[in-house]
Amino acid sequence: MTGCVFSIEEFSVYDGPGIRTTVFLKGCPLRCSWCHNPEGQSKDIEIVRSPNGCIECHNCINSAKTENGRLYFTTESIQKCPMGLLRVCGEKIDSTALCEKLLKNQKLLQNGGVTFSGGEPFVQSTFLLECLDVLHGQLHTAIQTCGYCDAELFDKAITKADYFLFDLKLIDDDMHQKYTGVSNRKILRNFSVLARSGKAFVVRIPLIPSVTDTVENITGIIKLLKENGVNYVELLPYNKMAGGKYKMLGRRYTPLFDEQQSVNINEDLFAQSNIDFKVL
Amino acid sequence: MTKNVDSLLKQLTTKEYKKYRVKEREEPILYPVDFFGFHMGSNRPCGKLCGNVTPNYKRVMTMGFEALCQELRDHIAATTDEAKKAYGMAMLEKLQECMDVCDAYREAVKAQGNTRLYQALLTVPRKPATTFYEACVFLKLCIYFLRVSHIDHVGLGRFDQYMYSFYENDKASGVTDEEIFETIEAFFISLNFDTDLYSGVQQGDNGQSLVLGGFDKEGKSMYNTLSAMCMDASLELNLIDPKINLRVGKNTPEEIFVKATYLTKRGLGFPQYCNDDIVVPGLVGLGYEPDDAINYVVAACWEYIIPGCGADIPNIRTMNFPLIVSHVVEDKLRDCNHFEELMNYVEQAIKKECDYFVETCKGVTVTTPLLSVFTDHCTRNLTDMWHGGAKYINFGCHGAGIANATDALCAIKTCVFEEKSINPGRLLDALDRNFAGCEEIRNLLRACPKMGNNDDKADGIACKIMACFSRNLNNRPNGIGGVWRAGTGSAMEYILSAVNCPATADGRKASEPYSSSFSPSLDVKTNGLLSIIQSFTKYDMTKIINGGPLTLEIHDSVFRNDIGITKIALLVKAFISLGGHQLQLNSINREVLLDAQKHPEKYPNLIVRVWGWSGYFNELDLTYQNHIIRRCEYGT
Repeated sequence: MTGCVFSIEEFSVYDGPGIRTTVFLKGCPLRCSWCHNPEGQSKDIEIVRSPNGCIECHNCINSAKTENGRLYFTTESIQKCPMGLLRVCGEKIDSTALCEKLLKNQKLLQNGGVTFSGGEPFVQSTFLLECLDVLHGQLHTAIQTCGYCDAELFDKAITKADYFLFDLKLIDDDMHQKYTGVSNRKILRNFSVLARSGKAFVVRIPLIPSVTDTVENITGIIKLLKENGVNYVELLPYNKMAGGKYKMLGRRYTPLFDEQQSVNINEDLFAQSNIDFKVL
Repeated sequence: MTKNVDSLLKQLTTKEYKKYRVKEREEPILYPVDFFGFHMGSNRPCGKLCGNVTPNYKRVMTMGFEALCQELRDHIAATTDEAKKAYGMAMLEKLQECMDVCDAYREAVKAQGNTRLYQALLTVPRKPATTFYEACVFLKLCIYFLRVSHIDHVGLGRFDQYMYSFYENDKASGVTDEEIFETIEAFFISLNFDTDLYSGVQQGDNGQSLVLGGFDKEGKSMYNTLSAMCMDASLELNLIDPKINLRVGKNTPEEIFVKATYLTKRGLGFPQYCNDDIVVPGLVGLGYEPDDAINYVVAACWEYIIPGCGADIPNIRTMNFPLIVSHVVEDKLRDCNHFEELMNYVEQAIKKECDYFVETCKGVTVTTPLLSVFTDHCTRNLTDMWHGGAKYINFGCHGAGIANATDALCAIKTCVFEEKSINPGRLLDALDRNFAGCEEIRNLLRACPKMGNNDDKADGIACKIMACFSRNLNNRPNGIGGVWRAGTGSAMEYILSAVNCPATADGRKASEPYSSSFSPSLDVKTNGLLSIIQSFTKYDMTKIINGGPLTLEIHDSVFRNDIGITKIALLVKAFISLGGHQLQLNSINREVLLDAQKHPEKYPNLIVRVWGWSGYFNELDLTYQNHIIRRCEYGT
């Protein structure tokens, strides 16, 4: 079947062990307030416009169509831009074709592999599982997930993928709903299954100032890690450039927290609990 | 870092030494700033007679000038050839002048109270060096004297090899590694004084390249304690000179690549990697003896030469590929029914240009007695190195804009002949109008396959271009006892030659620069680093070995921890295993560069790699600054 991919990034350094290629699948059930990949949220193909280098010739706007009072760029608009600033974000691609493309670099990926990321790769679960089947035995596969998906699917993926990069964001469910738009119930369930499955995985915590980096939240996450026998985490401090891509989509970035605050790594909390960490 | 080294660095960075420069004086002056007592400099650029050479330092340092003089006298007495006698006398005279200057220098050093240097100067350059420190002083004197003889871009060669016996001597007599490390650092700092007085195209373009590591004939690694010390010194000092080149191969262990990547992280634009597995057989294929080929060095930027016995001129001409393609397209596109016909015309034009180079380029007119003394066979034959004295006198030709030429041809193949989305007349018209009002055509052209995407369609064209270039140039006699060699370098021609090139079918506008050396075209968004290293290793690189690296810009954030460092090291290792010949990585951050253009005062020490050398960003012309900013940056 076909899936919708918005980027294939070669040599993605922080997406799992060894030299890897990461495939970004479109669509995400979460709406994290700090999301830095907004083009991964919708599962539909979008046309994006890079704001830098615009000479304001208005060729794109003149060739755009209007729907419900909003302007939509068309494929025609892409051709009209003299600066080549418009591009299609999202490509429909067949699972076999995608895997063929990935296998072209098989030799270089021998000590690493392929990571499926997003968006949230489980949004296109059938496509994802198909790809894992094709790549099985040929390339090491990893899934970078927020953990939000149906139990049955997740359990199936554990048997198919070689490695997981699992995000833990907020322990308190109300907070989770406020900042990501969904409950963390499914996520915590899937996490405990993964932790007990014997599958190799790494936990990642996005450190968002005053949201996820609070003593309360980190203490909660550490407790969960301890219960599940996890003693290593990777920390992703909030990047102030996160809002950069919203403009390309014609959207405004409105985080529910103050971006300018510094991030609290909470080294002491991790050290006290004998949990190794690496700041990425 | 020791106190001595720290104080030297301060003198360098505050540019305090510059106040000792005296205007309107041409003779060398002694500056009281150097670790070596004084810095011997000139107050104005020396001018360039010739360059891109590496002398046989080892022979000179282990003989001493007096023994060299004696050897010359013996040969002069033995020959009946008047011309040789006369040339021998000229060489002798040069050595004598050097010794006279050194005597005066030594007395000034004594007056300054620098006993260590004074002691060393009682030995060198007249007598052979025995200690590591004496050898450094000797080396510095050699470079200085060549420089004031208008020989520029004098390479430092295989420092870790020819200095190793001095290192061993020192160790045997109880000198510690720490002391030797301090001497190396002081020597490196001394290479950074007065770089603004070199005659390069831009500041920093001074050819002070130093080569480390490599393998011997049996495949044994030559990477030693000194190699590691030099890398550590460079890492600690953070200066543009010397530029480190690391000879590696498929058997180079991962930890050496990791160590080198920490140096890349510094943002100095080096080390540059040279692949022994490709370079050595490549040079043998051009007629170099295996014993010489195994000893290769990088002349100044990336040109492969043999130290001590070569008078190669590795940058005598530049093949301007995009311009050739542009002319052929203009003249022949309308007549072609198939792409293959057009490609044939391109190949004919490349051949014609090769013929033209071979027919019109006839050697050199300079004579360099002092440099010849430092070059094997010349003292014995009493012959100038450029006039039959040196063992090798081959000509190298750059190959500029290979990626742009490839992309242009691939776009024509796709749009004009396959998809027929643009007819020849419209394309020629768009090129003629420099794409003004032809944005749609330009966007179609830019959407075609490009070199760097591991796409056989584009890469196949690149291979054809390179094969044609090497087939028609390599090993052709140059009329003065050497042969021609084809290469992938561009030197400054990615800017200078591009100025006269009209718009090309890859979407490049008239006068816009090409990519530097052997790299994807500017503004081309490739699939990524894995595809690039495969694209740029498809051709048999032993066949095009004049030099010219694949240059990659990697965002500095990738280097932020040991995960990133290790992975970059793996990437380099993969490139070498794939058969790449030369690689140069930049740790770069576009935002920082843009900010540095606005607020240069905030970045006095921002260093960038320009082509075969690194320089201070603030000291570069805007054109060169902008080129670096426009290069695609990976890993963001």
